[in-house]
Amino acid sequence: MNPLIFTTILMTVLLGTMIVMMSSHWLMIWIGFEMNLLAIIPILMKKYNPRTMEASTKYFLTQATASMLLMMAIIINLMHSGQWTITKVFNPTASIIMTSALAMKLGLTPFHFWVPEVTQGISLTSGLILLTWQKLAPMSILYQISPSINLNILLTMAVLSILVGGWGGLNQTQLRKIMAYSSIAHMGWMTAVLVYNPTLTMLNMLIYIMMTLTMFMLFIHSSSTTMLSLSHTWNKTPLTTTLILITLLSMGGLPPLSGFMPKWMIIQELTKNSSIILPTLMAIMALLNLYFYMRLTYSTSLTMFPSTNNMKMKWQFETKRITLLPPLIVMSSLLLPLTPMLSILD
Amino acid sequence: MLKIIIPTIMLMPLTWLSKKNMIWINTTTYSLLISLISLSLLNQPSNNSLNFSLMFFSDPLSAPLLVLTTWLLPLMLMASQHHLSKEPLIRKKLYITMLTMLQTFLIMTFTATELISFYILFEATLVPTLIIITRWGNQTERLNAGLYFLFYTLMGSLPLLVALISIQNLTGSLNFLLIQYWNQALPDSWSNIFLWLACMMAFMVKMPLYGLHLWLPKAHVEAPIAGSMVLAAILLKLGGYGMLRITTMLNPQTSFMAYPFLMLSLWGMIMTSSICLRQTDLKSLIAYSSVSHMALVIVAVLIQTPWSYMGATALMIAHGLTSSMLFCLANSNYERTHSRTMILARGLQTLLPLMAAWWLLASLTNLALPPSINLIGELFVVMSSFSWSNITIILMGANITITALYSLYMLITTQRGKYTHHINSIKPSFTRENALMALHMTPLLLLSLNPKIILGFTY
Repeated sequence: MNPLIFTTILMTVLLGTMIVMMSSHWLMIWIGFEMNLLAIIPILMKKYNPRTMEASTKYFLTQATASMLLMMAIIINLMHSGQWTITKVFNPTASIIMTSALAMKLGLTPFHFWVPEVTQGISLTSGLILLTWQKLAPMSILYQISPSINLNILLTMAVLSILVGGWGGLNQTQLRKIMAYSSIAHMGWMTAVLVYNPTLTMLNMLIYIMMTLTMFMLFIHSSSTTMLSLSHTWNKTPLTTTLILITLLSMGGLPPLSGFMPKWMIIQELTKNSSIILPTLMAIMALLNLYFYMRLTYSTSLTMFPSTNNMKMKWQFETKRITLLPPLIVMSSLLLPLTPMLSILD
Repeated sequence: MLKIIIPTIMLMPLTWLSKKNMIWINTTTYSLLISLISLSLLNQPSNNSLNFSLMFFSDPLSAPLLVLTTWLLPLMLMASQHHLSKEPLIRKKLYITMLTMLQTFLIMTFTATELISFYILFEATLVPTLIIITRWGNQTERLNAGLYFLFYTLMGSLPLLVALISIQNLTGSLNFLLIQYWNQALPDSWSNIFLWLACMMAFMVKMPLYGLHLWLPKAHVEAPIAGSMVLAAILLKLGGYGMLRITTMLNPQTSFMAYPFLMLSLWGMIMTSSICLRQTDLKSLIAYSSVSHMALVIVAVLIQTPWSYMGATALMIAHGLTSSMLFCLANSNYERTHSRTMILARGLQTLLPLMAAWWLLASLTNLALPPSINLIGELFVVMSSFSWSNITIILMGANITITALYSLYMLITTQRGKYTHHINSIKPSFTRENALMALHMTPLLLLSLNPKIILGFTY
C-alpha cells in the first residue's frame, strides 16, 4: 500500500479511538467508533485475497451491528435523561443494550464468535492491531458507564468468556486463533472486576496489551503462524524460544511473572467484596488457558521438535524490524515486584 | 537474610561469566560457602524466632529446612556434572541458572513472613522445576510428567490464594509475626470448613497425600538427577512447612476436618510401601518411598501435638537427606547402564565395594535404623499417633515393617548376589560420586549426635 495512504488510514484509526476516549457527548463517541471501524477495514485487508475479504466482512458486520445497538442505547438514554453527556446511563434497558453492544465490540461471550475467525483471516500485524488497539475504545466506554452496568449480565458474560476462551483454545494449532481465544479469556477477566474496581480493569488491560504485543512481535520475528512453524525457531534464533517460553508463562498467569499481577489483584478485589466462589472458579478456569500455552512451549522451547533438513531454513522475504522488543519482554515478565505502583493508574 | 539471598542471586552472573573449565568449580565452591553462612541461623538463643526484618525471619522450624536447602545446591551441582558433560556450554549455564533460580525462590519461601509472599514464591518454585524436568529429562514421558506436576499443584494452590486473601480480610494482616499473637478460634460454619479445605489442599497436593500423589512418581522418575534431588528433598517439604505454619490459624476445625486426611495418610503409607515391594524401576521405588514417608509427616502435622511436630520436623530433614542420597545412588547406576531397571545391575558389591557401603548406609537410614534421625522422627510420630488413638500402632508398625522390607529388597537386589555378566565393564566410582555420598551421609550421621537442632519449635 502507498505509504502516505497507509499513514492516513492508520492515523484515522488512532483518531477514532482518541475521539471515543476523550469525548463527553454520546454522538461523538458513536462517530469515533464508526471512524475507527471504517478506517481499520483497509488495514485488515492489507493483503488482497478472499480470506481477508471474508474476515474483514465479518468484522464489519459485527462491529456495525454493535454500533447500531450502541446508537439505540444512546437514544433511549437521551429519551430518559434528556441530555447527551456521558455520565452513568439512566435507564436499565439502555444499560443492558449498551453493555451488549460493547461486549460485541470487545468479543465477550456470547458475542465472541467473530474473534477467532477474523483474527485467523488477517495478517499478523493487522491481528496485533485488532486484538490490542481495538479493545481500548470499548473498554474506555465501559469504564465510564461502570456505575450503572447490570452486575448479573456483566459477570455472566465475564465467566462465560473465561470458560469459552479456555475451552475454545484447546483444539487449536493456528497461532492467531490461539491468541484470539486468549484475548476472549482476558476480556472476561477484565470485565469481571469492572463494577468492583475499574482501576484494575485498566491494569489488566495494560498488562494484557504488553503481553499480547510481545507475543505478536515474537511471532512476526519468526514469521510463524502455526505451531509447527513456531517449533522451527530453535533452528534459527534459539533465544526467541526462551523469550516465547517466558512470555507464554506470563500470559498463563504464573507467579513470579507479571501476568500474575492482574489475576492476583482481581482475585483480591473480588474476595474483599465477599464473593469467594467466583474468583476461585475464574482462577481454576484460567488453568485451561495455561494448558494450551504449555503445549505451545512444549513444542517450541522445551523440546527439540523433529524436523526434516529442508524445513530448517525458513524463507524470509524481508528483514523484520522489531521495534521495542527488549523493553516489552522485560515489562511483560518482570513487573510483579512493582505492584504497589498501580496506584498511579487511579 | 539478605546475606544469603543476594549471594544466591549473584550465583547467576557468576555462572554466565565463568570460563568453560571453571563453571562447575566456581558454582560449587560458592554455593558451599553460602551453605556455611546459613549454618549460623541454627543458633537460636531464645525460643522466639530470629526476626531479621518485616519480610524475612527464621525460626527453629525454618532454619533446618533452610540449611538443608542451601546444603543441597552444591550437591546438586556435583551430581549433574556427568550428564551435562556433553552439552554445549550455554545449555550447561542455563541448567545451573535454573537451579540457582529455584534455590533463590526456595530460600525466600522458607523465610517469608507474609503469607501471600510465601504463596507467590511457593508458586514461583514451580517454573524452574518444570523447566528442569521437561527440558532436561531423558524419556518422552517427561512431557506428561511436567504437565501433571504443574497442574496438580496449581489446582490445589489457587483456592489457597483466595483463602489467604479472605483471611487477610478477616484478620487485617497476614504477617506471620502478628498472627502468632493474634490467634483466635475460627467460628464454626460451612464457609470456614471450605476455608480449611482451601488452605490445606495446596499443601496436601504438594506433600503428597495418598489420593493426590499421581504426579510424584512421574515427576521424580522423569526428572534429571538434580531435579529429582531437589524435588524429593525440598519441594515436598514445602508442603509440610506450609501445613505447619497454616494450621496455627485454623483451629478448631482441624479436630474434625483432619479425619479424612488422616485416614488417607494412614492407609496410603501402607499402600505405597507395599507398591515399593513390586517395583522394577529403581527411581520409581524411591519415589513411592517418599510418598510413604511424607504420609507420616501428614499424620504428624494433623494430630497437632508437641511431640508430633518434633517428629514431623525431624522426619522432614532426615527424609530429605536420605531420599536425595538414594536418588544419587540410583543415578550412579543409571549413568553406567542407562537403565533404571533394578535387576539389570545386580551384584554391584563385587564390582564397586565402596559404593556398596554407601548403599548400605542409605538403606539403613531409609528403614529408620537407630540412632539415626530418621528413627527419631518416625518414633516420635508413632508415639504421638499412639497417644491420639491406640489402634494406629497396628498400621504404623506394619508400615515400619514394610519399609524395612523394601529397603532391604532394594539393597539386596542391587548389591548382593552374583553380578550380571554384562556390567563387568562399567566404570569404577568417581571421587565426585563418593564425595557426594559422603556429603549426604555425614550431616545425617552427625545430626544423630545432636538432634535437638532439627526438632523444631516445640522442643
